[in-house]
Amino acid sequence: MRILVVDDSEAFRRVMTELLLKAGYRDVKAAGGYEEALEAYKESHPEIVFVDMVLPGRSGVDLTREILSADPKAKIIAMSSIMNKSLIKESLEAGAKDFLLKPTNAIALSSILSTWSE
Amino acid sequence: MSLFHFKKGKDAKAVKEASLGVTRKYDLRPGKCYVVEEAPPSVSFDAFANLVSTSDGGGGAVGLAVTRQHPDLVRQKYGLERTPVYWLATRAGEGVISPTNLGILTQTLVKFIGENADGVILLDGLEYLVSNNDFGKVLKVIDQVHDHISQSGSRFILPVDPRAFEPRELALLERNMERISGATDEG
Repeated sequence: MRILVVDDSEAFRRVMTELLLKAGYRDVKAAGGYEEALEAYKESHPEIVFVDMVLPGRSGVDLTREILSADPKAKIIAMSSIMNKSLIKESLEAGAKDFLLKPTNAIALSSILSTWSE
Repeated sequence: MSLFHFKKGKDAKAVKEASLGVTRKYDLRPGKCYVVEEAPPSVSFDAFANLVSTSDGGGGAVGLAVTRQHPDLVRQKYGLERTPVYWLATRAGEGVISPTNLGILTQTLVKFIGENADGVILLDGLEYLVSNNDFGKVLKVIDQVHDHISQSGSRFILPVDPRAFEPRELALLERNMERISGATDEG
């Protein structure tokens, strides 16, 4: 399964990628910002995209909308380091499938992936 | 200074959080106690917040948290608007439980279990309790909570920093609990 991780924190991208590799997902790409994420999406058409809702410049909600307008079948998982209910609601209304609290762990991640990889 | 700082008639009432419409990620069964070996207690809080904020057929669980972290920070990070969050501290104030008053702590937890058929309790700060009390007394609290939980439909989450305990103490703490594993890998 192809996975894209979008987060401006290099440390988070690295640890998240390691977690996914450890869980057996080999095709993992990461992007640090909005434009880089759009390019990476167009290149690899990942099945699941983890998007940090707070990105520098344009937001993760905007990115969710833009990816979904180009590919309505994209599965986007919103991420944030706080459970801000209005932001989660906005993300889900924009078309995100689910929400993952950062920092994450193997249990939450594997639950998300098994739910949305079908 | 009072050891239990709730104003009369202001006892925190457990109310369900609004469901967020996200997936339930942790399969914690009713009537079970779970230990999570971790520091900081991020998996425990994530599981707790996930259970109270997600519906699983019949709606989200009613929660009660007792924590060493300031309740305002916990509420903000985990989006807890209605869930009672008690602060385990020696400061005076509303919603504070003194670490030396194990009786009030036990009473608070047992009362919650009795009043809520589908509840979830998070007790963060076991190390702090042990540093303020004899280990055996803290173990008795955990055992009492376990006995009540196992006769109820509620769940109990206990984060434990394994570096703070001797192997024998850890074994005693965990002997009646199920372990939430995979908690060490964080991203």
